[in-house]
Amino acid sequence: MNKIFLIAGREFFSRVRKKSFIVMTLLGPLLIAGFYALIIYLSINEEISNDLKRIIVIDESGVFRNKLRENNFYKFSYQDEPLDAARLQLRNEDYFAVLYIPKTAADSLRGFKLIAATQTSWKDESYIEDKLNKVISDIKFAQHGIEQKLIEEINNTSVVLESVRDTKEGLEKGSTAVSTGLGFIGAIFIYMFIFIYGVQIMRGVMEEKTNRIVEVIISSVKPFELMMGKIAGIAMVALLQFLIWVVLSTVLGGGVTGALSAKMSMVQDAGAAVSQTGKAALLSDIISQASQINVWLVGGMFLFFFITGYLFYGALFAAVGAAVDSETDTQQFMLPITIPLILAFFLAQTVVVSNPNGSLATWLSMVPFTSPIIMMVRVPFFTGAWDWSWGWQIIASMCCMLLGILVTTWMAGRIYRIGILLYGKKITYKELGKWLFYKA
Amino acid sequence: MQSLQIINVTKQYAHHKALDRVNLSVPHGSIYGLLGPNGAGKTSLIRIITQITGADEGEVLFKGEKLNPSHIYRMGYLPEERGLYKKMEVGEQLLFFARLKGLSRSDAMHKLKDWVERFEIKNWWTKKVEELSKGMQQKVQFIATVLHQPELIILDEPFTGFDPINANLIRDEIIRLNKEGSTFIFSTHRMETVEQLCDHIALINKSKVVLEGEVKQIKNQFRTQTYEVEHSICNLQLSPSFVLKNSTPVDEGLIRSEIKIIQGIPNDLLKELIPVSHIHSLREIVPSMNDIFIISVNQNLATQSVVA
Repeated sequence: MNKIFLIAGREFFSRVRKKSFIVMTLLGPLLIAGFYALIIYLSINEEISNDLKRIIVIDESGVFRNKLRENNFYKFSYQDEPLDAARLQLRNEDYFAVLYIPKTAADSLRGFKLIAATQTSWKDESYIEDKLNKVISDIKFAQHGIEQKLIEEINNTSVVLESVRDTKEGLEKGSTAVSTGLGFIGAIFIYMFIFIYGVQIMRGVMEEKTNRIVEVIISSVKPFELMMGKIAGIAMVALLQFLIWVVLSTVLGGGVTGALSAKMSMVQDAGAAVSQTGKAALLSDIISQASQINVWLVGGMFLFFFITGYLFYGALFAAVGAAVDSETDTQQFMLPITIPLILAFFLAQTVVVSNPNGSLATWLSMVPFTSPIIMMVRVPFFTGAWDWSWGWQIIASMCCMLLGILVTTWMAGRIYRIGILLYGKKITYKELGKWLFYKA
Repeated sequence: MQSLQIINVTKQYAHHKALDRVNLSVPHGSIYGLLGPNGAGKTSLIRIITQITGADEGEVLFKGEKLNPSHIYRMGYLPEERGLYKKMEVGEQLLFFARLKGLSRSDAMHKLKDWVERFEIKNWWTKKVEELSKGMQQKVQFIATVLHQPELIILDEPFTGFDPINANLIRDEIIRLNKEGSTFIFSTHRMETVEQLCDHIALINKSKVVLEGEVKQIKNQFRTQTYEVEHSICNLQLSPSFVLKNSTPVDEGLIRSEIKIIQGIPNDLLKELIPVSHIHSLREIVPSMNDIFIISVNQNLATQSVVA
């Protein structure tokens, strides 16, 4: 046990003192904040990511002339030339596409063609379809004698649905949006740290192996102690980095959010006063949703899955590092580790979010390969006081995770002790399987 | 008293037997040479002694006790493939290794001071290992191996990578530590090291011990009663007690003859030679460790091929 501390200590201090750690720890939150700021900035200022597309309209029906609505990204130019001539312009001039509307199209709704030199995007097609529909429906409304004003009134219909949960303590306000956001942030952190630090474990093991230093060390400590010391030491580095990030992000994040909301309100100032009250309502809604969330449960589960997810995968990364001689050989063994992680992350964004209490989500949050991410996304939805209806899932998930750690650590230990002393041989899965049952 | 006894040790890997009923005993205070061609099983044996792996069968006794984890602190091991943490400072690294071997921090510091002075490496203390030359790294590694004053020190090819000056420095330290009571096991195929340092050897070939014992005795055992005589040119007519194996002219009027004595002693040979020629010199051809090594390995091969 003493030796594990010694090795973990060396691992910790030698990593924490590295320049790259200090730089990453200080710049990490800045980079992340900058990254998100950039995404938000780009999505607000669409002009940057979109170019103006000019489209020639050959309208044989005459129905659409000068009626297709334009915006900053799409401009229509109506021409009377034959289609072939227009297509020639497409080659020579600065036009994006030709929209061809045959005579009967307005009635049959068929035969519209968008001809472009390059592949058009889904966004282009849906924009143009939408504008065509609008023109036709306007005509149809007019035919039936419905006023434009009435249509606008109908279109502005928007109900507000309040989600409320029926609990033992009475009715509680739902918290879908905030829960989803919170779960995601937690899941992203867990995913990132498992990858970043898992790979560090693997590299560390490989470094010791290719350096041959491992032979000196395991003449004084058991391979298992060396492996656990390494995993524990790097875990401490990860935790330290995470804590620093949290502190820095709170400070910096406040600044970024402030700057962005100022920008947002500037954008919205252009709109009606309605949006101002909407914004206030949204803010108060977020606050009331957030107050529903069981902070201790979410925080505790985050810490649990942050650590155990790392330990579970860390052992597997250590085994991979021990089994191979060089970085290039790691690929084949990395695959079965990375696929469940990426799959979990993908499913979390799709199936789990749309149905957090569905049976797939429930099962995935029991399997240790996916539970750190899936359960993290689900936990913020368990609001209010402790309730066995979802409580059993949390307990079961934690137990499965701990059991999973025991299994992967045992397996990794078996592979590790053989692998680190074996050089110059390409290892197959069959061989790894045999190692599990070798006598030391 | 025996420092280490290997009794009937067998180690089987998936496709080959690395050690086959190996028996050895390393006397206390000896410098013991573990010889053998590449792949003979030396490293496997060392890994069993250092408890990196376990034997499938047989027993290892350290000072009469069955090998157990507490013995780790009483052994030092320098593997053939050297390795240090490249990015770590020399001083920190030495402290780390010392503490792995059970020394307290202050104890380790105290002992290190001594070694650092002896090896004149004081100004390396805060240097990173990657800034040192290969020979310097070897020195650091040697210190790491012996710092905790182990009773048994196992060195695998200790002199590779050293220039002659540093090799001498290390050799002197080995002799000094040996005098202070440490037992050494050398794994090597450099015969000059064996001739210079070892008092006992074991020769391992194809997983088996083919030769073991005191160097003096082994050399005796391999004496062939062959003598080299330098004498003036003459027509040698020897009696059946002697066989002329080889004869080469060396100088003007001088011949060097290798003569094997089948029966009798060198005096009898001289009696036959004196009447017919002028004797310049006579000396026994004593087999070198190198010869013994080659003879034994080849014999081993021959007997094995006969069996096969």
